[in-house]
Amino acid sequence: MSRFSVVPPGDTSPEGPARIDLERLLRRSAAGDEDAFAELYDAVSSRLYGMVRRVVRDPAQSEEVAQEVFLDIWRQSARFDPARGSALSWMLTIAHRKAVDRVRSAEASRQRDDRYGTSNQDVTHDSTSEAVVGRLDAERVHRALETLTGAQRQALELAYLSGYTHTEVATMLDLPLGTAKTRIRDGLIRLRDTLGVTS
Amino acid sequence: MSDDIHALSGAYAVDALDDSERAQFEQHLAGCAACQAEVASLAAAATTLSSLSDTAPPPGLRAKVLQGITTVRPLPPLVSGDGEPGDISTREPALSAPPQPAAAGPETAPDELAARRGGRHAETRRGSPLRWLVAAATAAILAIGGFAVWRSTDSGSTTPPTVAEQVRSAPDAKTSSDVALPGGGTATVVRSPSLGKAVVITSDLPSAPAGKVYQLWLQDPSGHFTSAGLMDASGDQTVVLQGDAADAQAAGITIEPAGGSEQPTSNPIAFFSFA
Repeated sequence: MSRFSVVPPGDTSPEGPARIDLERLLRRSAAGDEDAFAELYDAVSSRLYGMVRRVVRDPAQSEEVAQEVFLDIWRQSARFDPARGSALSWMLTIAHRKAVDRVRSAEASRQRDDRYGTSNQDVTHDSTSEAVVGRLDAERVHRALETLTGAQRQALELAYLSGYTHTEVATMLDLPLGTAKTRIRDGLIRLRDTLGVTS
Repeated sequence: MSDDIHALSGAYAVDALDDSERAQFEQHLAGCAACQAEVASLAAAATTLSSLSDTAPPPGLRAKVLQGITTVRPLPPLVSGDGEPGDISTREPALSAPPQPAAAGPETAPDELAARRGGRHAETRRGSPLRWLVAAATAAILAIGGFAVWRSTDSGSTTPPTVAEQVRSAPDAKTSSDVALPGGGTATVVRSPSLGKAVVITSDLPSAPAGKVYQLWLQDPSGHFTSAGLMDASGDQTVVLQGDAADAQAAGITIEPAGGSEQPTSNPIAFFSFA
Protein backbone atom coordinates (compact mmCIF):
# COMPACT_ATOMS: atom_id res chain seq x y z
CA MET A 1 0.00 0.00 0.00
CA SER A 2 2.97 2.24 -0.44
CA ARG A 3 1.91 3.49 -3.80
CA PHE A 4 2.21 7.08 -2.72
CA SER A 5 5.15 6.75 -0.49
CA VAL A 6 8.76 5.89 -0.37
CA VAL A 7 9.23 2.42 -1.69
CA PRO A 8 10.07 0.07 1.14
CA PRO A 9 13.71 -0.62 1.91
CA GLY A 10 14.93 -3.38 -0.31
CA ASP A 11 13.00 -2.24 -3.32
CA THR A 12 15.51 -0.15 -5.12
CA SER A 13 13.47 0.42 -8.23
CA PRO A 14 12.64 4.08 -8.28
CA GLU A 15 10.28 3.56 -11.18
CA GLY A 16 8.26 1.08 -9.19
CA PRO A 17 4.52 0.77 -9.43
CA ALA A 18 4.15 3.35 -6.70
CA ARG A 19 4.71 6.38 -8.82
CA ILE A 20 3.13 5.13 -12.00
CA ASP A 21 -0.01 4.27 -10.15
CA LEU A 22 -0.63 7.76 -8.80
CA GLU A 23 0.11 9.33 -12.12
CA ARG A 24 -2.25 6.98 -13.86
CA LEU A 25 -4.96 7.75 -11.33
CA LEU A 26 -4.48 11.46 -11.89
CA ARG A 27 -4.68 11.01 -15.64
CA ARG A 28 -7.87 9.02 -15.34
CA SER A 29 -9.25 11.63 -12.98
CA ALA A 30 -8.50 14.32 -15.54
CA ALA A 31 -10.71 12.39 -17.93
CA GLY A 32 -13.50 12.47 -15.38
CA ASP A 33 -13.04 9.00 -13.91
CA GLU A 34 -14.52 9.29 -10.43
CA ASP A 35 -13.55 5.76 -9.44
CA ALA A 36 -9.93 6.56 -10.17
CA PHE A 37 -10.19 9.62 -8.00
CA ALA A 38 -11.65 7.55 -5.18
CA GLU A 39 -8.60 5.29 -5.43
CA LEU A 40 -6.34 8.30 -5.44
CA TYR A 41 -8.07 9.62 -2.35
CA ASP A 42 -7.56 6.33 -0.53
CA ALA A 43 -3.89 6.34 -1.46
CA VAL A 44 -2.95 9.82 -0.35
CA SER A 45 -5.60 11.07 2.05
CA SER A 46 -3.64 10.22 5.21
CA ARG A 47 -0.55 12.00 3.97
CA LEU A 48 -2.39 15.07 2.75
CA TYR A 49 -4.86 15.32 5.59
CA GLY A 50 -2.12 14.77 8.17
CA MET A 51 -0.08 17.62 6.77
CA VAL A 52 -3.08 19.92 6.57
CA ARG A 53 -4.08 18.98 10.10
CA ARG A 54 -0.55 19.62 11.35
CA VAL A 55 -0.62 23.13 9.93
CA VAL A 56 -4.25 24.08 10.49
CA ARG A 57 -4.74 22.11 13.74
CA ASP A 58 -8.43 22.79 14.15
CA PRO A 59 -10.09 19.54 13.07
CA ALA A 60 -13.15 21.11 11.49
CA GLN A 61 -11.11 23.62 9.52
CA SER A 62 -8.60 20.96 8.56
CA GLU A 63 -11.39 18.90 7.10
CA GLU A 64 -12.67 21.88 5.13
CA VAL A 65 -9.22 22.65 3.79
CA ALA A 66 -8.58 19.01 2.90
CA GLN A 67 -11.88 18.91 1.06
CA GLU A 68 -10.93 22.02 -0.91
CA VAL A 69 -7.53 20.52 -1.64
CA PHE A 70 -9.02 17.35 -3.06
CA LEU A 71 -11.59 19.20 -5.15
CA ASP A 72 -8.80 21.31 -6.59
CA ILE A 73 -6.65 18.29 -7.27
CA TRP A 74 -9.60 16.85 -9.17
CA ARG A 75 -10.12 20.07 -11.07
CA GLN A 76 -6.44 20.59 -11.80
CA SER A 77 -5.58 16.96 -12.47
CA ALA A 78 -4.93 17.55 -16.16
CA ARG A 79 -2.41 20.24 -15.27
CA PHE A 80 -0.14 17.82 -13.46
CA ASP A 81 2.95 17.24 -15.55
CA PRO A 82 4.78 14.00 -14.68
CA ALA A 83 7.86 15.28 -16.46
CA ARG A 84 8.20 17.78 -13.66
CA GLY A 85 8.09 15.37 -10.79
CA SER A 86 6.00 13.11 -8.67
CA ALA A 87 2.27 13.28 -8.30
CA LEU A 88 2.56 13.11 -4.54
CA SER A 89 4.79 16.14 -4.27
CA TRP A 90 2.52 18.07 -6.61
CA MET A 91 -0.45 17.32 -4.41
CA LEU A 92 1.45 18.05 -1.20
CA THR A 93 2.60 21.39 -2.51
CA ILE A 94 -0.98 22.35 -3.29
CA ALA A 95 -2.13 21.16 0.12
CA HIS A 96 0.59 22.95 2.06
CA ARG A 97 0.00 26.26 0.37
CA LYS A 98 -3.71 25.99 0.96
CA ALA A 99 -3.27 25.03 4.60
CA VAL A 100 -0.92 27.93 5.18
CA ASP A 101 -3.27 30.33 3.44
CA ARG A 102 -6.07 29.13 5.70
CA VAL A 103 -4.25 29.62 8.98
CA ARG A 104 -3.10 33.04 7.92
CA SER A 105 -6.56 34.23 6.95
CA ALA A 106 -8.04 32.66 10.05
CA GLU A 107 -5.40 34.50 12.05
CA ALA A 108 -6.89 37.80 11.05
CA SER A 109 -10.09 37.13 12.93
CA ARG A 110 -8.97 34.74 15.60
CA GLN A 111 -5.56 34.27 17.10
CA ARG A 112 -4.55 30.71 17.32
CA ASP A 113 -4.44 29.91 21.00
CA ASP A 114 -1.98 27.18 20.41
CA ARG A 115 1.11 29.28 20.25
CA TYR A 116 4.60 28.00 20.03
CA GLY A 117 5.77 26.46 23.26
CA THR A 118 2.34 25.37 24.35
CA SER A 119 1.75 23.18 21.38
CA ASN A 120 0.93 19.64 22.13
CA GLN A 121 0.07 17.62 19.13
CA ASP A 122 -2.68 15.16 19.70
CA VAL A 123 -2.94 13.55 16.33
CA THR A 124 -4.13 10.04 15.91
CA HIS A 125 -2.03 7.97 13.59
CA ASP A 126 -4.00 5.55 11.56
CA SER A 127 -3.23 1.91 11.78
CA THR A 128 -3.36 0.82 8.19
CA SER A 129 -0.43 -0.66 6.39
CA GLU A 130 0.05 2.70 4.73
CA ALA A 131 0.91 4.11 8.10
CA VAL A 132 3.57 1.47 8.56
CA VAL A 133 5.31 2.66 5.45
CA GLY A 134 4.73 6.20 6.58
CA ARG A 135 6.57 5.48 9.80
CA LEU A 136 9.51 4.08 7.91
CA ASP A 137 9.68 7.34 6.01
CA ALA A 138 9.26 9.25 9.19
CA GLU A 139 12.19 7.51 10.82
CA ARG A 140 14.48 8.52 8.00
CA VAL A 141 13.24 12.05 8.09
CA HIS A 142 13.61 12.13 11.86
CA ARG A 143 17.19 10.96 11.54
CA ALA A 144 17.87 13.60 8.94
CA LEU A 145 16.32 16.25 11.15
CA GLU A 146 18.71 15.27 13.90
CA THR A 147 21.58 16.50 11.78
CA LEU A 148 20.18 20.02 11.96
CA THR A 149 21.14 22.35 14.76
CA GLY A 150 18.40 22.83 17.31
CA ALA A 151 17.94 26.38 16.13
CA GLN A 152 17.59 25.37 12.49
CA ARG A 153 15.16 22.64 13.31
CA GLN A 154 13.06 24.90 15.47
CA ALA A 155 12.80 27.56 12.79
CA LEU A 156 12.04 25.02 10.07
CA GLU A 157 9.35 23.30 12.09
CA LEU A 158 7.66 26.56 12.97
CA ALA A 159 7.68 27.55 9.32
CA TYR A 160 6.74 24.35 7.52
CA LEU A 161 4.84 22.39 10.12
CA SER A 162 3.14 25.30 11.83
CA GLY A 163 2.79 27.64 8.88
CA TYR A 164 4.33 30.77 10.37
CA THR A 165 6.08 33.33 8.21
CA HIS A 166 9.80 33.80 8.69
CA THR A 167 9.07 37.19 10.21
CA GLU A 168 6.73 35.61 12.73
CA VAL A 169 9.29 32.92 13.45
CA ALA A 170 11.92 35.56 14.12
CA THR A 171 9.60 37.34 16.51
CA MET A 172 8.60 34.15 18.31
CA LEU A 173 12.22 33.10 18.77
CA ASP A 174 13.31 36.62 19.58
CA LEU A 175 15.73 36.70 16.68
CA PRO A 176 16.83 39.66 14.63
CA LEU A 177 14.79 39.96 11.44
CA GLY A 178 16.49 38.05 8.69
CA THR A 179 17.93 35.44 10.99
CA ALA A 180 14.94 33.14 10.82
CA LYS A 181 14.92 32.99 7.05
CA THR A 182 18.59 32.08 7.13
CA ARG A 183 17.98 29.32 9.65
CA ILE A 184 15.07 27.97 7.62
CA ARG A 185 17.21 27.94 4.52
CA ASP A 186 20.25 26.44 6.21
CA GLY A 187 18.07 23.82 7.84
CA LEU A 188 16.48 22.87 4.53
CA ILE A 189 19.88 22.65 2.89
CA ARG A 190 21.09 20.33 5.63
CA LEU A 191 17.93 18.25 5.36
CA ARG A 192 18.19 18.11 1.60
CA ASP A 193 21.84 17.10 1.67
CA THR A 194 21.35 14.54 4.39
CA LEU A 195 18.49 12.98 2.48
CA GLY A 196 20.75 12.86 -0.53
CA VAL A 197 19.22 15.38 -2.86
CA THR A 198 21.78 16.87 -5.18
CA SER A 199 20.92 19.89 -7.16
CA MET B 1 19.70 40.73 -7.63
CA SER B 2 20.66 41.30 -4.09
CA ASP B 3 21.72 38.59 -1.72
CA ASP B 4 18.73 39.53 0.33
CA ILE B 5 16.22 38.25 -2.13
CA HIS B 6 18.21 35.09 -2.83
CA ALA B 7 18.13 34.39 0.89
CA LEU B 8 14.35 34.13 0.75
CA SER B 9 14.55 30.86 -1.19
CA GLY B 10 14.21 28.67 1.88
CA ALA B 11 11.34 30.63 3.35
CA TYR B 12 9.61 30.59 -0.04
CA ALA B 13 10.05 26.84 -0.32
CA VAL B 14 8.14 26.33 2.91
CA ASP B 15 5.48 28.96 2.19
CA ALA B 16 6.91 31.17 4.93
CA LEU B 17 6.74 34.46 3.06
CA ASP B 18 3.90 36.90 3.43
CA ASP B 19 1.89 37.72 0.32
CA SER B 20 3.94 40.73 -0.61
CA GLU B 21 7.29 38.98 -0.18
CA ARG B 22 5.96 35.95 -2.00
CA ALA B 23 4.95 38.01 -5.02
CA GLN B 24 8.24 39.83 -5.01
CA PHE B 25 10.23 36.63 -4.77
CA GLU B 26 8.21 34.97 -7.52
CA GLN B 27 9.03 37.85 -9.80
CA HIS B 28 12.67 37.41 -8.96
CA LEU B 29 12.41 33.65 -9.31
CA ALA B 30 11.18 33.94 -12.86
CA GLY B 31 14.52 35.32 -13.94
CA CYS B 32 16.93 33.60 -11.56
CA ALA B 33 17.97 30.11 -12.54
CA ALA B 34 20.02 29.68 -9.37
CA CYS B 35 17.02 30.38 -7.19
CA GLN B 36 14.79 28.13 -9.27
CA ALA B 37 17.12 25.22 -8.72
CA GLU B 38 17.54 25.99 -5.06
CA VAL B 39 13.84 26.46 -4.38
CA ALA B 40 13.10 23.22 -6.18
CA SER B 41 15.50 21.20 -4.09
CA LEU B 42 14.55 22.87 -0.82
CA ALA B 43 10.84 22.50 -1.41
CA ALA B 44 11.42 18.85 -2.14
CA ALA B 45 13.27 18.44 1.11
CA ALA B 46 10.44 20.19 2.94
CA THR B 47 7.87 17.87 1.41
CA THR B 48 9.46 14.92 3.17
CA LEU B 49 8.41 16.46 6.48
CA SER B 50 4.84 15.50 5.68
CA SER B 51 5.81 11.91 6.38
CA LEU B 52 5.94 12.89 10.05
CA SER B 53 2.25 13.62 10.23
CA ASP B 54 0.32 10.86 8.46
CA THR B 55 -3.15 11.04 9.94
CA ALA B 56 -6.32 9.29 8.88
CA PRO B 57 -8.86 11.88 7.78
CA PRO B 58 -12.31 12.00 9.35
CA PRO B 59 -14.42 9.19 7.93
CA GLY B 60 -16.96 11.57 6.45
CA LEU B 61 -14.44 13.39 4.30
CA ARG B 62 -14.24 10.73 1.63
CA ALA B 63 -17.95 10.89 0.88
CA LYS B 64 -17.89 14.69 0.82
CA VAL B 65 -14.98 14.74 -1.58
CA LEU B 66 -16.46 12.12 -3.86
CA GLN B 67 -19.80 13.90 -3.81
CA GLY B 68 -18.05 17.21 -4.43
CA ILE B 69 -16.23 16.13 -7.55
CA THR B 70 -19.48 15.19 -9.27
CA THR B 71 -20.23 18.91 -9.43
CA VAL B 72 -16.83 20.01 -10.72
CA ARG B 73 -15.56 19.60 -14.24
CA PRO B 74 -11.83 18.95 -14.46
CA LEU B 75 -9.99 21.66 -16.34
CA PRO B 76 -8.66 20.85 -19.77
CA PRO B 77 -4.93 20.24 -20.04
CA LEU B 78 -2.70 23.15 -20.94
CA VAL B 79 -1.72 22.80 -24.54
CA SER B 80 2.01 23.02 -25.01
CA GLY B 81 3.07 26.46 -26.14
CA ASP B 82 -0.22 27.93 -25.05
CA GLY B 83 0.00 31.13 -23.12
CA GLU B 84 -1.88 31.35 -19.90
CA PRO B 85 -5.19 33.12 -20.01
CA GLY B 86 -4.46 36.75 -20.61
CA ASP B 87 -6.17 38.09 -17.55
CA ILE B 88 -3.92 36.30 -15.11
CA SER B 89 -0.97 38.58 -15.55
CA THR B 90 -3.11 41.53 -14.68
CA ARG B 91 -4.28 40.08 -11.41
CA GLU B 92 -2.73 40.57 -8.03
CA PRO B 93 1.03 40.26 -8.00
CA ALA B 94 0.85 37.14 -5.89
CA LEU B 95 -0.90 35.54 -8.80
CA SER B 96 1.03 37.11 -11.57
CA ALA B 97 4.23 35.12 -11.56
CA PRO B 98 5.03 34.06 -15.08
CA PRO B 99 3.57 30.62 -15.59
CA GLN B 100 6.81 29.08 -16.69
CA PRO B 101 10.01 30.30 -15.09
CA ALA B 102 11.85 28.69 -17.96
CA ALA B 103 10.53 31.33 -20.31
CA ALA B 104 11.95 34.17 -18.34
CA GLY B 105 15.35 34.70 -19.82
CA PRO B 106 18.18 33.32 -21.84
CA GLU B 107 19.88 31.74 -18.84
CA THR B 108 16.78 29.74 -18.08
CA ALA B 109 16.08 28.46 -21.54
CA PRO B 110 13.65 25.53 -21.53
CA ASP B 111 16.27 23.23 -22.95
CA GLU B 112 18.57 23.88 -20.07
CA LEU B 113 15.86 23.29 -17.53
CA ALA B 114 14.81 20.16 -19.30
CA ALA B 115 18.39 18.98 -19.28
CA ARG B 116 18.67 19.74 -15.61
CA ARG B 117 15.49 17.85 -14.88
CA GLY B 118 16.64 14.99 -17.01
CA GLY B 119 19.95 14.93 -15.26
CA ARG B 120 18.33 14.87 -11.89
CA HIS B 121 16.10 11.98 -12.83
CA ALA B 122 18.94 10.05 -14.36
CA GLU B 123 21.10 10.58 -11.36
CA THR B 124 18.49 9.58 -8.86
CA ARG B 125 17.78 6.31 -10.60
CA ARG B 126 21.00 5.18 -9.01
CA GLY B 127 20.05 6.56 -5.64
CA SER B 128 18.05 5.36 -2.71
CA PRO B 129 14.28 5.29 -2.79
CA LEU B 130 14.04 8.28 -0.55
CA ARG B 131 16.51 10.08 -2.70
CA TRP B 132 14.26 9.38 -5.61
CA LEU B 133 11.19 10.68 -3.85
CA VAL B 134 12.94 13.83 -2.89
CA ALA B 135 14.33 14.36 -6.33
CA ALA B 136 10.98 13.75 -7.93
CA ALA B 137 9.49 16.33 -5.65
CA THR B 138 12.32 18.63 -6.59
CA ALA B 139 11.48 18.43 -10.22
CA ALA B 140 7.85 19.03 -9.44
CA ILE B 141 8.58 22.33 -7.87
CA LEU B 142 10.14 23.53 -11.08
CA ALA B 143 6.52 23.96 -12.01
CA ILE B 144 6.31 26.57 -9.31
CA GLY B 145 5.02 29.18 -11.69
CA GLY B 146 2.41 26.68 -12.70
CA PHE B 147 1.33 26.50 -9.12
CA ALA B 148 0.98 30.23 -9.03
CA VAL B 149 -1.31 30.02 -12.00
CA TRP B 150 -3.09 27.13 -10.41
CA ARG B 151 -3.76 29.30 -7.42
CA SER B 152 -5.08 32.06 -9.55
CA THR B 153 -7.60 29.84 -11.25
CA ASP B 154 -8.64 28.72 -7.82
CA SER B 155 -10.15 32.06 -7.01
CA GLY B 156 -13.58 31.34 -8.41
CA SER B 157 -16.51 33.60 -7.90
CA THR B 158 -15.92 34.25 -4.23
CA THR B 159 -12.66 36.11 -4.84
CA PRO B 160 -12.38 39.23 -2.75
CA PRO B 161 -11.41 42.33 -4.71
CA THR B 162 -7.81 42.24 -5.83
CA VAL B 163 -5.34 44.71 -4.40
CA ALA B 164 -5.46 46.58 -7.69
CA GLU B 165 -9.22 46.85 -7.48
CA GLN B 166 -9.04 47.98 -3.88
CA VAL B 167 -6.50 50.65 -4.69
CA ARG B 168 -8.47 51.94 -7.65
CA SER B 169 -11.69 52.15 -5.66
CA ALA B 170 -10.13 53.56 -2.48
CA PRO B 171 -11.66 56.88 -1.39
CA ASP B 172 -8.24 58.53 -1.36
CA ALA B 173 -7.05 57.04 -4.64
CA LYS B 174 -5.27 59.55 -6.83
CA THR B 175 -4.60 58.88 -10.47
CA SER B 176 -1.62 60.51 -12.14
CA SER B 177 -1.99 61.84 -15.63
CA ASP B 178 -1.12 59.50 -18.46
CA VAL B 179 2.52 59.44 -19.43
CA ALA B 180 3.34 58.71 -23.06
CA LEU B 181 6.12 56.12 -23.22
CA PRO B 182 9.08 56.60 -25.55
CA GLY B 183 8.46 53.29 -27.30
CA GLY B 184 4.73 53.85 -27.62
CA GLY B 185 1.83 53.28 -25.30
CA THR B 186 0.97 55.06 -22.08
CA ALA B 187 1.26 54.44 -18.36
CA THR B 188 -0.45 55.88 -15.35
CA VAL B 189 -0.22 55.25 -11.63
CA VAL B 190 -3.04 55.09 -9.10
CA ARG B 191 -2.02 55.40 -5.47
CA SER B 192 -3.95 55.08 -2.26
CA PRO B 193 -1.98 56.44 0.72
CA SER B 194 -4.43 54.85 3.17
CA LEU B 195 -3.85 51.42 1.65
CA GLY B 196 -0.16 52.13 1.22
CA LYS B 197 -0.31 50.69 -2.27
CA ALA B 198 0.13 51.96 -5.80
CA VAL B 199 -0.86 50.39 -9.09
CA VAL B 200 0.63 51.03 -12.48
CA ILE B 201 -1.71 50.73 -15.43
CA THR B 202 -0.30 50.51 -18.91
CA SER B 203 -1.96 50.73 -22.26
CA ASP B 204 -0.35 49.40 -25.45
CA LEU B 205 2.92 48.89 -23.62
CA PRO B 206 5.44 47.54 -26.15
CA SER B 207 7.39 44.42 -25.20
CA ALA B 208 10.64 45.13 -23.43
CA PRO B 209 13.71 44.79 -25.66
CA ALA B 210 15.17 41.29 -25.84
CA GLY B 211 16.94 40.36 -22.62
CA LYS B 212 15.36 43.30 -20.79
CA VAL B 213 12.43 43.75 -18.46
CA TYR B 214 10.45 46.67 -17.22
CA GLN B 215 11.22 47.36 -13.59
CA LEU B 216 9.00 49.37 -11.28
CA TRP B 217 10.36 51.62 -8.57
CA LEU B 218 9.16 53.54 -5.58
CA GLN B 219 11.13 56.55 -4.42
CA ASP B 220 11.14 57.26 -0.71
CA PRO B 221 11.18 60.79 0.74
CA SER B 222 14.98 60.70 0.93
CA GLY B 223 15.12 60.15 -2.82
CA HIS B 224 16.18 56.51 -2.58
CA PHE B 225 14.69 54.11 -5.12
CA THR B 226 13.44 50.68 -4.06
CA SER B 227 12.47 48.04 -6.56
CA ALA B 228 8.71 47.59 -6.71
CA GLY B 229 8.86 44.53 -8.92
CA LEU B 230 9.34 43.51 -12.51
CA MET B 231 6.88 43.68 -15.34
CA ASP B 232 7.76 41.45 -18.24
CA ALA B 233 4.45 41.55 -20.04
CA SER B 234 3.28 44.03 -22.62
CA GLY B 235 0.02 45.58 -23.74
CA ASP B 236 -2.63 46.59 -21.24
CA GLN B 237 -1.37 45.73 -17.78
CA THR B 238 -2.42 46.46 -14.24
CA VAL B 239 0.36 45.75 -11.80
CA VAL B 240 0.49 46.42 -8.08
CA LEU B 241 3.78 47.99 -7.05
CA GLN B 242 5.52 45.97 -4.37
CA GLY B 243 6.38 47.67 -1.16
CA ASP B 244 4.89 50.45 0.88
CA ALA B 245 3.60 53.28 -1.24
CA ALA B 246 2.19 55.22 1.70
CA ASP B 247 5.23 57.44 2.14
CA ALA B 248 6.64 57.15 -1.34
CA GLN B 249 7.10 60.44 -3.09
CA ALA B 250 7.27 59.05 -6.59
CA ALA B 251 7.13 55.95 -8.74
CA GLY B 252 9.03 55.17 -11.90
CA ILE B 253 9.49 52.60 -14.63
CA THR B 254 12.89 51.74 -16.08
CA ILE B 255 14.15 49.19 -18.57
CA GLU B 256 16.60 46.83 -16.87
CA PRO B 257 18.48 43.66 -17.75
CA ALA B 258 16.46 40.45 -17.32
CA GLY B 259 16.15 39.64 -13.65
CA GLY B 260 16.03 43.28 -12.72
CA SER B 261 18.51 45.56 -11.02
CA GLU B 262 19.07 46.57 -7.45
CA GLN B 263 19.06 50.22 -8.39
CA PRO B 264 17.87 51.85 -11.61
CA THR B 265 20.59 51.62 -14.27
CA SER B 266 18.86 53.83 -16.78
CA ASN B 267 16.68 56.90 -16.86
CA PRO B 268 13.04 56.14 -16.24
CA ILE B 269 10.79 55.84 -19.26
CA ALA B 270 8.00 57.08 -17.00
CA PHE B 271 8.11 58.97 -13.73
CA PHE B 272 5.15 59.77 -11.52
CA SER B 273 5.52 62.28 -8.74
CA PHE B 274 3.08 61.93 -5.88
CA ALA B 275 3.83 65.39 -4.51
